[in-house]
Amino acid sequence: MNLTYFLFFICIILCTLIITYWAAKRSKTANRFYTAAGSLTGLQNGMAIAGDFISAASFLGIVGAIALHGYDGFLYSIGFLVSYLIVLYFIAEPVHHLGKYSLGDVICARFPGTHMRLMMAVGAFLISILYMIPQLVASGLLIRLLLNIDYSISVVIIGSLMTVYVVFGGMLATSWVQIVKTVVLMSGTFLLVLIVFSRFDWNVNALLAAVQDGTPLGEGFFLSGNLFQQPLEMLSLQLALILGTAGLPHILIRLFTVKNTHEVRRSITSATWIIGFFYVMTLVLGLGAIAIVGFEQLVAADSTGNLAAPLLAQAVGGDFLLAFISAIAFTTIVAVVAGLVISATTAFSHDVYHHLIKKGKSTEKEQLTAARWTALGIGFISTLFALRLENMNVTFLVSLTFIVAASSNFPVLLLTIYWKRFNKVGAMTGMISGLIASFVFVVLGPHIMNLDGGWISREPIFQLSNPGIVVIPIGFLGAIIGSYLSPESKQLHVEEKEFFIKAHTGIATRREGA
Amino acid sequence: MLDEHVAKLIDKKKRFVLPMLVFLFAFYFMLPLSLAFFPDVMNSSSVVFQITWGWLYAFLQIPMTWIVGWLYCRNAKQLDQWIEERKQEVVS
Repeated sequence: MNLTYFLFFICIILCTLIITYWAAKRSKTANRFYTAAGSLTGLQNGMAIAGDFISAASFLGIVGAIALHGYDGFLYSIGFLVSYLIVLYFIAEPVHHLGKYSLGDVICARFPGTHMRLMMAVGAFLISILYMIPQLVASGLLIRLLLNIDYSISVVIIGSLMTVYVVFGGMLATSWVQIVKTVVLMSGTFLLVLIVFSRFDWNVNALLAAVQDGTPLGEGFFLSGNLFQQPLEMLSLQLALILGTAGLPHILIRLFTVKNTHEVRRSITSATWIIGFFYVMTLVLGLGAIAIVGFEQLVAADSTGNLAAPLLAQAVGGDFLLAFISAIAFTTIVAVVAGLVISATTAFSHDVYHHLIKKGKSTEKEQLTAARWTALGIGFISTLFALRLENMNVTFLVSLTFIVAASSNFPVLLLTIYWKRFNKVGAMTGMISGLIASFVFVVLGPHIMNLDGGWISREPIFQLSNPGIVVIPIGFLGAIIGSYLSPESKQLHVEEKEFFIKAHTGIATRREGA
Repeated sequence: MLDEHVAKLIDKKKRFVLPMLVFLFAFYFMLPLSLAFFPDVMNSSSVVFQITWGWLYAFLQIPMTWIVGWLYCRNAKQLDQWIEERKQEVVS
């Protein structure tokens, strides 16, 4: 590792640690630890949401997918972006009105009870961990490829950084690390886009012509069908993408970090602006990578195309730019995993420890201590897992996360907020059927059952690698059938009414102890 | 009194959200569906800059997201104002 790389990395680590130190002095209460006491503005939170959402898989993976597969690679990013409208239209404001720190709070505002809370905590915990492990594994592999550092060392560095941010700085440090990441990522990609265009004298047609020369697909690069031959597969993926975000706990708990619904809406809309511009830029980078670097070299460096962006940076700007882009990729990774650590921590320490073990009676100080220890434990355990999984192909876990979120959390949230006939039994059956169906169909599908390198070496029983189109309806059906099979909610009519008033207007008609 | 207002509010919200939602889903899922069923049309050159209809449609999803999001915020602002007015009424 040469000095340029070293300086960039030290600079980023120092910056984020200074943020953490500053945040640590301000994270003295549970409210501040979990939600930064609602102190962020809409724009800041929008940037943090973008920072939470755009993973290294988006940054490097989509550039690579576009470079290798053309049009179909770009389709991925569209689904990620449009999904924010579902969050904005259905979920965002009610979640902000009803919840305090976690999604468990939101559901338990209507269906209080230990089982319900435990179920929501398990859901949030599973989704966060399932998403975190592949990110950690991918980051270890990436840093090894980029910098020639040993896999275990890079995983340990990233694992300890994310743990330090959350343990000491809580949500405040996490948010600001994510905001810094968004700024660095957007400006870095913008710079790279300008360089790519200047290479072709700002002539888009020249770029497109060079793309056709660079790709073995020729003119077919610009046509659909290079990645998704099966229409059903594509539809299924798009369905999971558009509904998945609205069930991701690490995105939804960010809605507690602003003070009112106006800021909630500003958060989501500014996130869509940032993410939209970002995906347009990744398109240019994908085109630039295939035009300037060329197909053979991209595939030779990494067959999945994940190194397209770094290779492009090296080709147009030499080692210095490569170091800069690598540092950006590194920041991207730590910001995303820190967001996942805090969402898993909230699920465990707020829902399980505070509400279930201590029956909601632990003091502010106990809550804070519990949260810090939980964050430490989660960081430690997931780093250990990531170390063990070096040689496993775990990338499918990322798409699994979206499917689990879209088929368990999303139906239950949606029906809780909007459906009057919904009841506790329905919420439980919805969560359980969504979770189980996702796992069953992924295990039976080509990710796991695969003659060529799968965990179970045999023909897949279920043909789609994205089972969303089957699993999401199962989640909804589970919730609906469960509600109809059980007697109508025994809860007082008045309480239900209070719930709906609070969900849709934020007006609490009754003073609550919690 | 409060119940009536809330019912009216939810009704107002529904009248805006439902049509927007039908549009959103139609606009979004028409992209994969049209690619699946009319690949020839989608892969032919469109009217703009010689890019294909497939690219044009995919690009349009981005401004669509921004506009549909902005419309929601505009509507929500009006609803907020309406809630404020009703609150004043209740107080006075």
